[in-house]
Amino acid sequence: MKKDQRSLGDKLKSWIMQDRGGYDYTLLFAIIFIACFGLVMVYSSSSYVAYTQFGSSFYFFKRQAFFMLLGIAAMFVVSKIDYHLWLKFAVLGILSAIVLMLLVNFTPFGIEFNGKKRWFGIAGHSLFQAAEYVKIVLIIGLAAYVNRVGKRVDKWPTIVITALISIPLCLLVAMNNLSTGIILVGITFVMVYIASQKKVLYIILVVLAVVGGVSAVFLGDQFVKMGILKPYQFERIYVWLDPEAYALEGGHQVIQGLYAIGSGGLFGKGLGKSLQKLGFVPEARNDMIFSIICEELGVIGALALIAMFMFVIYRLFRAAINAPDLVGAMITIGVMTHIAIQVILNVAVVTNTIPNTGVTLPFISYGGTSVIFLFLEIGLALSVSNLSRCKR
Amino acid sequence: MNFLRISHKRQLLLIALIMIPVFAVLFVRVGYLMIYRSEYYSEKADDLHERERTIKAARGVIYDANGTEIASNRTVCTISVVHNQVKQPDEVIAMLSAELGIDEAKIKGLVEKRSSREIIKTNVDKKTGDKIRNYGYEGVKVDEDYKRYYPYGSMASKVLGFTGADNQGIIGLEVEYEDVLKGTNGKLLTLTDAAGIEIDDAAEKRIEPVAGNNLKLSLDVNIQKYAEQAALKVMEKKNAKRVSVIIMNPQNGELLAMVNCPEFDLNAPYKLSDSIEKPLSGKEYSDALNNMWRNTCINDTYEPGSTFKIITMSAALDAGVVGLNDTFHCGGFRVVEDRRIHCHKVIGHGTETFVQGAMNSCNPVFIDVGLRLGVDRFYEYFNRFGLLSKTGIDLPGEASTIMHKKENMGEVELATVSFGQSFQITPIQLVTTAASLVNGGRRVTPHFGVEVMSSDGESITKLEYKTTGGIISEETSKTVRYILEKVVSEGSGSKAYIEGYSIGGKTATSEKLPRKTGRYISSFLGFVPADNPQVIALITIDEPEGVYYGGTIAAPVIKEIYENILPYLEIEKTEGKLSGEEE
Repeated sequence: MKKDQRSLGDKLKSWIMQDRGGYDYTLLFAIIFIACFGLVMVYSSSSYVAYTQFGSSFYFFKRQAFFMLLGIAAMFVVSKIDYHLWLKFAVLGILSAIVLMLLVNFTPFGIEFNGKKRWFGIAGHSLFQAAEYVKIVLIIGLAAYVNRVGKRVDKWPTIVITALISIPLCLLVAMNNLSTGIILVGITFVMVYIASQKKVLYIILVVLAVVGGVSAVFLGDQFVKMGILKPYQFERIYVWLDPEAYALEGGHQVIQGLYAIGSGGLFGKGLGKSLQKLGFVPEARNDMIFSIICEELGVIGALALIAMFMFVIYRLFRAAINAPDLVGAMITIGVMTHIAIQVILNVAVVTNTIPNTGVTLPFISYGGTSVIFLFLEIGLALSVSNLSRCKR
Repeated sequence: MNFLRISHKRQLLLIALIMIPVFAVLFVRVGYLMIYRSEYYSEKADDLHERERTIKAARGVIYDANGTEIASNRTVCTISVVHNQVKQPDEVIAMLSAELGIDEAKIKGLVEKRSSREIIKTNVDKKTGDKIRNYGYEGVKVDEDYKRYYPYGSMASKVLGFTGADNQGIIGLEVEYEDVLKGTNGKLLTLTDAAGIEIDDAAEKRIEPVAGNNLKLSLDVNIQKYAEQAALKVMEKKNAKRVSVIIMNPQNGELLAMVNCPEFDLNAPYKLSDSIEKPLSGKEYSDALNNMWRNTCINDTYEPGSTFKIITMSAALDAGVVGLNDTFHCGGFRVVEDRRIHCHKVIGHGTETFVQGAMNSCNPVFIDVGLRLGVDRFYEYFNRFGLLSKTGIDLPGEASTIMHKKENMGEVELATVSFGQSFQITPIQLVTTAASLVNGGRRVTPHFGVEVMSSDGESITKLEYKTTGGIISEETSKTVRYILEKVVSEGSGSKAYIEGYSIGGKTATSEKLPRKTGRYISSFLGFVPADNPQVIALITIDEPEGVYYGGTIAAPVIKEIYENILPYLEIEKTEGKLSGEEE
């Protein structure tokens, strides 16, 4: 056993030794490439609707381009700052996130769109999506706490405090945005799991979650049949299983996405040639943008994009392993987990692999807050990679 | 400062490794949807994006024997609105209401309905359609298509038939030749966005309609019109319920005319004649329509009466059970088994030869002849002449013969059948059988369709029909013609005689069922020239008032028709008498 472990460690080491780190320009350019590609796709998927609604086909493109430039600039700045600086603001960040979420959920500072209070704003002018701020704060907060407790990470008080940091935020976010709540839980889970030495607990948690999820689907169906649950409470599952039969209950978006994906074929219709973006696919520039990418660029383009994300995740993984210290690794792991979960969930939802839930595709989907905070997160990861050179 | 331990790295690696199968699942899923399911979703998406407008195909034209159009197409317009494109709804509503004469409230409902395309009115004439198009309102669509048009209105209405809203045949030749006449509709596919707005720079897919083939008939407009005039005249004069006339070429079965008075207007086939009292319930209305559209020559059977003696005569002569100069005695009735069957002449015809018996249309003579044949032989001839099957005419809904079963046929039934009673056949069956007996014994198939032509007038197929030779010998046929010529020149059919022509024929007066209600069908069947028939005609007058004898009222009508059409058909007068079969 020991021999095996050592050889695995050796292998890892030799793999890492090939590149001693330093500012990860590969990651930087990969991200900028994805972002530019995303900008093109935002234009393609939004121009028709923008023209019919706002009279300018560049409406969404311009806004997205502005936020991207802002985000890239912020990323550069953050990447050149020692990430340890932010640890000092961890407690303040967590507290401010809780206050922010309380304000958004329960006061007029929260602004409603499509029946969901997700925006923070003043006097009716929306400023940003609060949950995006929570993500980055949670990553920094957890990294700082894990670093602080050091070897006491598996003691009960630590677990309780970790839960206290994470759970209220997750719940507050989930109130109006279930999918982001799930993402926050996912980020927490992965970060704490890697920090911890007690694997049994997490394995039990995973098994419980899987068993719970699967049995919920089957039990729910039985409960609906027995009349205990109303069908609408179980709608998402029905829509997922047979979107065409439940078109009115929410299957519409899924079906339209599938039409777009399916009509792409091997090479797609060509950039700009999507028909489904002409108002057929709801949220074509947003949650459902991947379906338009499929339609226009075909299976080749779609898989290439996923591969590009996998490459980014791989670079973040390397940056984490090469990190100069635990806290840097934890931050990078948080960022990596965040991006990975969103990519996986988005693609899975759009292809109806899992029940529908609103998740955006990082750097591609339209949305200023999301793009800016994502760039900030990459900035943090770059900052970690920047210091890895002076490791040991 | 805490450092990253090897256990951290291992757990991080595990997380990263877990992602690999997850991404693999997504790869497979995307590939499955975009390659394996691509066709399915593409098709669904295309259906969604394409607004389909049908371009109606022109239905084939029907020509008469002279090449005159008797069923053609007229351009009409379909007016529709596309909700999302209408910019000035109030003006559009007002304009459509004014131009189409439809209630404003009704149009408002259609214009404001959120559908991709709402049809306001179909079959709008081209002038109105052009006018609406010239207003140039956005969202108002004027599509041209074809509507069936019958230039002769009611002429041969029950033969030609008419078409429904989708240009499909409803009755008559329009149904029978549906596959020939019907074209293939074209399509106009335009791409639209989700709001139903047509995309400007998207190429329109246009699938051109293919016009149906044209059909040429043997029916001759001139003959049909003469026959209709004559039929209408006698119907009015005798206040009859119906008058039908069939005119055929006995040599090949080509029908030159088929009249069913009263006819109806083919351009307004759902309008009942004014004589019908209104209002009617839905069922009464549809019954009245079906009744109006009925082609009695084909769809209805009747007891033929004395005209059927042609068939008895032919069978008996062919079997050799009777000679022209065999003598019979008529005392005004004949007793068969326990039944006393009367002759129409109550005091009887006395002693007469077979030829005289035919000229007198004497029932006892034909009863004797029928009994000489016997049930078996009579039945065999009945079958051989084609009376048990349908004629196979190219019109829908031909009625079958209603005849006794052979095993139920006794002497009494045989006796009555011999002079045309107690069974029923259609007029077309009678005229076809008679034609086959006088044309030398070739059973022909009556028909209208002669030739199928492409829409640009080239011949595609000449239609062929079955002919069965030898149903009686040429010799017997000649004898039959001789006797029937005598019937017209000297006997009961004398009112059909035309100076200079040799005409063969037979009259009939059949009492309708139930008997003794004073309702009759008078008929006459005649052919010219008697020695080589080129044209044969049958008239049936249903329920004439006053004098009802076929020889008195039906024969003169055929005479009148023949006087008009024989010169037209270039059938020349044969000077002097037919050199007959004198023994």
